[in-house]
Amino acid sequence: MIFPILHIPGLGDGMTIALDAVLHVVISHGLAIGLMTMLILFQTLTYMGKGPHWARITRSLLGPVVVVITSVGAVTGVGIWFITGILAPEGIGSLIHLFFWPWFIEWGAFTSEVILLLFYYYLWDKLAEKHPGRLTALGWGYVVMAVISAILISGILGFMLTPAGWPWGQTFDQAYYNPTFVPQVFLRLAAGLGIGSLLLAAWIAWRFKGTQQERGSALRLAGGVFLGCVAVAGVSAWVYFSRIPMTYLTHWKFAVATSYMSQLPDFLPTLNAVGVGVLCLTGLVAVLRWPIISRILCIPAILLCVFMVMEFERIREFVRGPYLLPGYMYANQVPLVEKLALDEKNENYLPRMRWVDDSGKLPPDMVAGQALFAANCGVCHTTVKGGLNNIGIRVAGRTLDSLNAIVDITENLGPFMTPFTGSESERLLLANYIYMLGTEQGYIKIPQAPKTPAAHAAGREAK
Amino acid sequence: MNKWTDLFLLHPLSDGWLDGLLFVTFGLHLLFALLIVGTAVLGLVFFLQDWLNNDQPGQSWNSKFMHTHLGLKSLAVVLGIAPLLLIQIRYSYSFFTTTGLFAYAWLAVIPLLIVAFLLIDGFNHSMESRSWLALLCGVIGVGALLTVPAVFTGALALMERQHLWAQFGQSGGQDFATLPALAPHWLLRYLHVIGAALVLGAAFQLFFSTRNNPEKAPRLRNWVFGATLAQILIGIPLLFTVAAELTWTIVAALTVGALAALLVLWVLRPRQSASEAAPRPVPLPAPRSLLWLLPLAFAAMLVGRQFIQDESLNPLQAANDAYRTERAKTMDPFRQPSLDAYALKLKTVYDNGDTIYDQACAPCHGLEGKGDGPVAARLLIPAEDIAAIRADREYVYTLVRDGVPGSGMPYFRLYDREKIEMVLDTMGKRFDMYGKADVPPDREPEGEAMFVWAETCSVCHGVAGEITEFGHTLLPPPPDLQKFAMTHARALEVITNGYPGTVMPPFRHLPQEVLEDLTIISNTFRVEK
Repeated sequence: MIFPILHIPGLGDGMTIALDAVLHVVISHGLAIGLMTMLILFQTLTYMGKGPHWARITRSLLGPVVVVITSVGAVTGVGIWFITGILAPEGIGSLIHLFFWPWFIEWGAFTSEVILLLFYYYLWDKLAEKHPGRLTALGWGYVVMAVISAILISGILGFMLTPAGWPWGQTFDQAYYNPTFVPQVFLRLAAGLGIGSLLLAAWIAWRFKGTQQERGSALRLAGGVFLGCVAVAGVSAWVYFSRIPMTYLTHWKFAVATSYMSQLPDFLPTLNAVGVGVLCLTGLVAVLRWPIISRILCIPAILLCVFMVMEFERIREFVRGPYLLPGYMYANQVPLVEKLALDEKNENYLPRMRWVDDSGKLPPDMVAGQALFAANCGVCHTTVKGGLNNIGIRVAGRTLDSLNAIVDITENLGPFMTPFTGSESERLLLANYIYMLGTEQGYIKIPQAPKTPAAHAAGREAK
Repeated sequence: MNKWTDLFLLHPLSDGWLDGLLFVTFGLHLLFALLIVGTAVLGLVFFLQDWLNNDQPGQSWNSKFMHTHLGLKSLAVVLGIAPLLLIQIRYSYSFFTTTGLFAYAWLAVIPLLIVAFLLIDGFNHSMESRSWLALLCGVIGVGALLTVPAVFTGALALMERQHLWAQFGQSGGQDFATLPALAPHWLLRYLHVIGAALVLGAAFQLFFSTRNNPEKAPRLRNWVFGATLAQILIGIPLLFTVAAELTWTIVAALTVGALAALLVLWVLRPRQSASEAAPRPVPLPAPRSLLWLLPLAFAAMLVGRQFIQDESLNPLQAANDAYRTERAKTMDPFRQPSLDAYALKLKTVYDNGDTIYDQACAPCHGLEGKGDGPVAARLLIPAEDIAAIRADREYVYTLVRDGVPGSGMPYFRLYDREKIEMVLDTMGKRFDMYGKADVPPDREPEGEAMFVWAETCSVCHGVAGEITEFGHTLLPPPPDLQKFAMTHARALEVITNGYPGTVMPPFRHLPQEVLEDLTIISNTFRVEK
């Protein structure tokens, strides 16, 4: 590893990225694409002479939505780069080198999108009355740029799970136009528009001030779009998941439900089925223009949408298993070829690590174990008691010799685990370090000579 | 050699083009970043001044002034993406190393910016109606915003000083006071950035926000003048901190920038008296010359900064590329084998018990379940001969799910229930694991064996085969014989020779008949239950 390795204690790397990424996805898809498209559609209806209330709704929501998009949405988007640059520099650096042009073009689209959004927002008061056509054109220009931006980024996201022939052919086309590119585009756009229309339906049901008829027509349109989006997202998701290699997809349940709840086979399928049912019901109620029931159903529906975004992103990130970039790099940023090159000569990995954190508090073997843990395991496991996926509890009850054996076969034990990279002696150093952590945290009890009942009795007599 | 053995060696553009793009995009980003910081600081200062003076109309203008914040901050963020992208290619080694060393401060930028942007929006929206709320939002928001350039200047200052990396890394990136070699440059550079923000922010607002409020122009002109003067005063000691890196090109660029700054001071100089006329009529709120002097100063300083950065980062990047190239050569022969292994992995689908057993269980228990898998030799407590087990399925499920503490048997909750059931099916089919206990029907245990069981074996295994309270204290604990048995031959072997690494001792000193009887007893509990 050429760069310093940082892992977030307690929270873990995955959760750190997830907190930022899920917030970003919800805002960038749900608000920037979905809700803004709906608002522009509503304003367009006014322009088409369908009544002033459509534009009134847009005006009421435009300011807060633009603030959230440009503050939280944009910053969390850049934040993904900041976080991955720290936690996975080899991974994100490789991706950037491979996908420089799509990313650079996407930056252009994103910049145009933001500029159009700002014009739409700042010029509303000047254009809405006098030049509504120009305002509408600005709005749809924004939508086009937002969609282009989403399409451009989907190729890169798809590559991270389904590079298909790229590892062998290594052409840019193979990398970018991968099997999940197209379904992911439709899924993300439909999900974004769905979340946006749902949020809008919730706002109309709760906050809209206008006639009953105006509220009803707005609610029906938002609900109708939402139902359509649920259908498109469902079909897209089905195509998307059908294109993921089964070797990855078999772990989806464990990925989402954690090790304990994955022991309940029907838990997740039932939860998802109920979730889809609630979403459909919410859309239907809105189409039927029942504002009071819509008010009630919108809240769980929004929560379910957020849950489903989390579920999708979690599956997408987790199921590709031991790989950060399948066919090229393991999740711990060790290239597949480097692991084999080291194995060939039973070569030590530590000399290849330029940065080893030595605070002087640990003996040399423990420093080595700590560094090997950071390089091999730290991307998924934390080392703090109570931390997410803490290694201490994962090795509870194990013996030192068994840890040495287990570290050797991690990829076999759990096919989503990375293999150990390093020499035989380094594997023992790592096992020793993990054993120490488990012991310190009380998850591993050091075997002691058991006292038999006879020995107990003898002890009492001696006293 | 295939260069894609290391993707970092894949450069999408020549260094010259990357430099050019980086210069332009970073310049744009920096411009808007400075405008937003300058606007935010000035907005807070003007709000405080007008609040203390009870000037309500003044707050109305301040609100219009701050209304630009949303646009400026949006552009600053989005324009920052391109230089971030470019620098990760052009100076990948220095960038990722430094941000790694600077990690927590670097990550803090995300919440700081979100808090700053939201609170400054709140400040803007409440300054005319709720002064105390505006004050709170303004102070915290602007405070958070001012922290961000401190992080960026720190990271850039460190990036250009490789000789400090190890020292900084050892301090955990937290104890800045221990870095006297970095701190003066960092502090002056930060102040220089803030000064530039005030100059550009005030100048932007001077031209943008005073068209309908010309009375505000002098206030902003004073800020441009004062901040430019401060820039020159800060710039002089800052120059000394980078003296070692100065070349004639850099000196020329910085001189142009300094001259432009001096000219700014000249055109904005305070008049000796009110009667002194301006040199010529000024149609704008400020001299037209500012429109080219300030961009000139900005661009010249940016050129100087870029060259200083190149001086220190180019050799590092070249050395790292050479290292990566060399490493890629050693790795290249393993490309095809790694692809073959990856292809095999793609074909191995963990959706059936046979695959799961062969992959996850066989390394220790062996393909035939005899405990002789390839890594079993590393275990002090031998892997169980599971082909000889005759146990209740639910009990085996708990052993597989939770593992056996004190032994090498790990938990397998990393598989969902359906997969564990699949592997249980396979073990049942392959090894008859849930078959009947192997108890010879024509033999009744005799009294001596019953006595040995009651006196010795039952301490751990219980009178009725259950795990005793004492047995639960053992690592690993004994099996629950009401749910777990073995083939007669295997049980006899364990009782005779013990189970290495556990407290199960050998009983080979007992007569063969007793051993046979004990074997029957141990296998009877599951049948009787």
